[in-house]
Amino acid sequence: MSKVLKLTAAIVMANLGTPVCAAPASGDDLLLSVPGLMPSAMLEMSDEPGLWFKDPVDGDALVVIKPKQAAMIKMTDTNTEHTITSLLWPSGAQSFPIDQEKPSSASVTAEFDKPGLYVFTCKVHPYMFGAVVVDDPNTKGLDVGSELQLVTGAKVPASSDIAKRLLRTFFVATTPSLWRDYSKPKWEVSLPDIPLNIEGNTISLSALGMTMPNELEKPGTPGVGEVWVNTQFEKIDGKKKVGTATRINTGNWSVAGKFKGVKEDMNNPHNMWTDKQYQYIYQTQWFDKKLLTFDRASGETYSNVVVGESPSHVMTRPADDVLYVALNAGEQVLKMTPGKSPSALNSINTGPHTSPHGHFITDDGKYLITPNALAGSVSVVDLDSEQNTEIPTGGVIPIAVWGTMDGKRAYAANLLGTPPLLSSLTVIDVPGKKKLMDIDLAADYDPVTGKISGEAYGLLPIQTPVSPDGKYVVTANTLSASITIVDTASNKVIKSLPCEPGCHGAHFGMKKGGGYYAYVASKFANDLIVIDMDKLEVAGRILLSDPKDSGIQAYNGMGGQGILPLPLVEHGNLKETLKLSGTGQLSPEVEGWLNALTPEQKGI
Amino acid sequence: MTKIAVLIFCAWALMPTANAGTESGKTHLITLKAGKLDSGQLAYQMVSHKIRDASGKLEDITNRYSTEPTIPGPAIVMTEGDQAEVTLEHGIKDSNEPVSIHVHGVHFKIDSDGTMKVFNHVADQAAFPGKPYTYKWTAAPGTAGTWPYHDHAFGNPMLGAEDKGLYGTLIVNPKGGKVMAMVDGQMKGVDIKDIKREFVLWMHETTFWGTEINHLANRQVPLWTNPTLGAREGELVRFHVIGIGTAFHTFHLHGHRWLQPGTTHLVDTVNIGPIVRESFVIKAGEGVGPGPWHYHCHVLQHMQSGMMGGFRVIE
Repeated sequence: MSKVLKLTAAIVMANLGTPVCAAPASGDDLLLSVPGLMPSAMLEMSDEPGLWFKDPVDGDALVVIKPKQAAMIKMTDTNTEHTITSLLWPSGAQSFPIDQEKPSSASVTAEFDKPGLYVFTCKVHPYMFGAVVVDDPNTKGLDVGSELQLVTGAKVPASSDIAKRLLRTFFVATTPSLWRDYSKPKWEVSLPDIPLNIEGNTISLSALGMTMPNELEKPGTPGVGEVWVNTQFEKIDGKKKVGTATRINTGNWSVAGKFKGVKEDMNNPHNMWTDKQYQYIYQTQWFDKKLLTFDRASGETYSNVVVGESPSHVMTRPADDVLYVALNAGEQVLKMTPGKSPSALNSINTGPHTSPHGHFITDDGKYLITPNALAGSVSVVDLDSEQNTEIPTGGVIPIAVWGTMDGKRAYAANLLGTPPLLSSLTVIDVPGKKKLMDIDLAADYDPVTGKISGEAYGLLPIQTPVSPDGKYVVTANTLSASITIVDTASNKVIKSLPCEPGCHGAHFGMKKGGGYYAYVASKFANDLIVIDMDKLEVAGRILLSDPKDSGIQAYNGMGGQGILPLPLVEHGNLKETLKLSGTGQLSPEVEGWLNALTPEQKGI
Repeated sequence: MTKIAVLIFCAWALMPTANAGTESGKTHLITLKAGKLDSGQLAYQMVSHKIRDASGKLEDITNRYSTEPTIPGPAIVMTEGDQAEVTLEHGIKDSNEPVSIHVHGVHFKIDSDGTMKVFNHVADQAAFPGKPYTYKWTAAPGTAGTWPYHDHAFGNPMLGAEDKGLYGTLIVNPKGGKVMAMVDGQMKGVDIKDIKREFVLWMHETTFWGTEINHLANRQVPLWTNPTLGAREGELVRFHVIGIGTAFHTFHLHGHRWLQPGTTHLVDTVNIGPIVRESFVIKAGEGVGPGPWHYHCHVLQHMQSGMMGGFRVIE
C-alpha cells in the first residue's frame, strides 16, 4: 500500500519520465545483437500472506509501469511450485493472457503495451494476487482501462460492479491492514485518494472504501465436540513461515488453543482430517511439500513428511483409515498409511495437468472424487480398482467437491464459473460418472450494475460441503463474501447469507440436542461463522484470534481456511468411530462427544 | 632434514623473483558500484577502469562500459600475469547492509575474499555506504578462463545477493594470446585479437541475462533478458555461458558445435549448474551458413518457459 500512497506524486511526475536505456552513442552498425526485455519492475512470488507477489522496492503487490515497459514475475521465496496466470487484463492487450500450463518455478518477463490493470494469480493457489498497472503518463489518473477481460473469457466494463469488486478484493487481499479484525469494533476499508482513470472518467480509489461494524455473537445452543480451523496466515514467533490450527471448544465457543508447528516451521497449514479414534490430526501444508501429523489432544508433533508439491486436502477412507492426500501442484492423490508417521503406499493419477485440490471420499469408501483445478474436470476414482474416470466439466478452476451421504451426487465448486456462467457448481452423477448440470450461483446478480434481485448471489465459490441429511449444499463464496445455500431437490440457491472477505472454508458439525451447524471461515477475517442448518440463519460469529497469546506476532486469527469439526458428521467415518465406543480405544473426551449425539446424528 | 628445510625456505623466498617473469606489469585499477535498478533488482556498474602498465602509464577504458548498472555486471577482461585492484562502492539506495565482491578463479589473499567476518574470521570485506572496500586480484599463470564474480555479503544472513542481480563476469585471457577452438574443420589456436564479438550469457532460473563485448565498436552492450545475438558469417565469436541460482541447465546452440575446453571432444550442448561456466570460440555459421539460429536451455520445462534466444548470423 505504500506505493499507492506515493502514486499521486508519481502521476504528477510521470511526464518528466526518465530514460530507461541510454541509446548507444556510436558504432551501432557494428552491433548486430538485439537486446531482450529489460524489466522495469519486478514481482517476486512468496509464501508471505498478502504479499504473494511482492515488489522488492516497497513490498507492495502492485507495480506501476509505463506502456512499452516490461515487468518480470519470478518465484523467489516459496517452498512449492506455482503458475503465473493472468486473471484479468485490458481487452485487446497484446500477447495476453499470460498463462503457465502447469505449476513450476519458471519466471515470466513480459512487455505491456496497453494501459490498464493487469492482475495475475496462481491457478494452484488462486488468491495469490499481484498486479501491474500500465499507466499512460499523458492521461489523467492511474489507468485502469475501459474494458477488462477475465480469464474465463468474459469481458466487463472497468466501471462495472464486478470489476470494482475485484479491485477492492485485490486491495483487501494484498493489504493485511485492511483485513477484517473482529477484535476491533469496526471494519474500515479506507483507501487513499488516488485518481483512477476508468473508461476515461476519473474517480478516486477512496470511493471503493467502506466501513462495517464488527459484531460477534456466540450461538445460543452449544455444539458437540470441537472445531479445528486452519488460521493459515497467523505469524508466529520462531517461525519463518505462517499458519496455525486453531482449536475451538464448541461448549463455550472459545479458543481452546493453537497448534503452531514452530519446530517444523509449519507452512501455510490448509486442511485437516483425523483418524477414527480422533487421536491424530493430519495437516496439509499447502505452500509446501509436507504433511504434518500431530496429537489432537496434546499437540505433540509425530511426523512431518514430504508428500509432494502443494498438498491441499487430506481425507481418510472410513473402513481402513488409509489417507488420501491431494497434491495440488501435481496430478496425483497420494495414498498413505494411517498413524503417527504416514508413509506412501502408492499414488493415484487423476489425469494429466489435473492439479486436484479439495477432494471427497464417499461414505461407503467406494469413490474418491477430485476437482481438478487446472484441467477443468472432475475425476471419479473407484478406490478398490483405483481406476480413474476424468469427467470434463467445462468449469474454470474446479477447486472443491463434496458429495451426498448416499454417494450418488457430488457438487464441484468452479472458482471462476462455467462460462458463460460467472459462478457455478457442477453436479456430478457419481456412480454414473457423468456431469448432470451446472447450478448458477450468481443467477440473481447483475455483474454490470451490481443489482442483486434474489438469493442467488455467490461469486468465486470455494468449499462446498453437502449437509449430512443431503438437503443442502453450503458454499463459501470468496469474492461476494457470501454463503449460498443450494436446495438439492431443486438445485437452486434458496438462501444467501453474509460472509467475510475471503470467505473460504466450510464444513458441518454437530449441534447439541440434534441437528447441524455449518461452520464457515474466511481468509481475510478472524471470525468463524456458525450457521444453524435448521433455520438456515447465522447463529453466531466466534473470534479465532487469541489476544492473550503473546507468541502470535501478527494476523491473529487470520487466514481461515480448512475446517475440521469433531465428531465428524460424515456417516461413514462416524460409524467407524462409533464401533470403537466402549472398547477402551477412544479417549473419555471422545466418548463424551459420542454420548451427546442423537440417534439421527449417529445416522441410526 | 635441516638441509631440506633450508632448501624449501630458499625456494619459497626466491619465488617472487621466479614469478617476475610471468608478471605482465599491468595493473587494472577498477572502481565498481553496487546499485539498485528501478525494478528493485541489484546490479553492479563500472565507475572507472584504468590500466597501468609497467612504466606507470595509464590507459582509461571506462568508456567501453555501460554507464548504467547492468545485469549481468560489467565483464572485466584481464590477461594472465595482470593484477587488479578492484574498489567497490556501496550505492544501494535505502540500505546500510554490506555488499561485496567475491571472485572466482584468480588468486587473492584472505582479505580479498569478499565475505564477512562471521564467515572468514578475519574481517568484514565489504563496502558500506560511504566506505568502499578494495580487493586485490592476481591473474596468476594457470588462471586463464571465464570466471564469475558476485556479492557474498548483502542480505540476511549475509551470504550475498547474487540471485538479486549482483553478479558479473571476469575473463582472464591466456598469456600466449591464443585459445583452442575447432575452426575451419581444424583444432587450432585462435588468436584472441581475431575475436570480433563475445557473448556473455548467464543462466538464472528460467532466464538468460546477456551482455555483448563488441570488439569492433570496442564497447560492452547490455543485452538484458533472452536477447537475440548477432554476428556476421565467418566472424570468430566467443561465448561465455555461466549458471547462477539453484537450477541446473543444459545450454544448447543450434547449428554450431565447439571444442569442449581441455578436450578434443566436439559438443553442441553443455551442462551448466550454478557458477559452472563454459567458454568457447566458434566461427559464426561455419558449415551451416547464415540464418536465424537459436540458443536455449534444453531442460524442457525451462525451454517451455521461454529460456531461449536467437543467434542471428547474417551474410
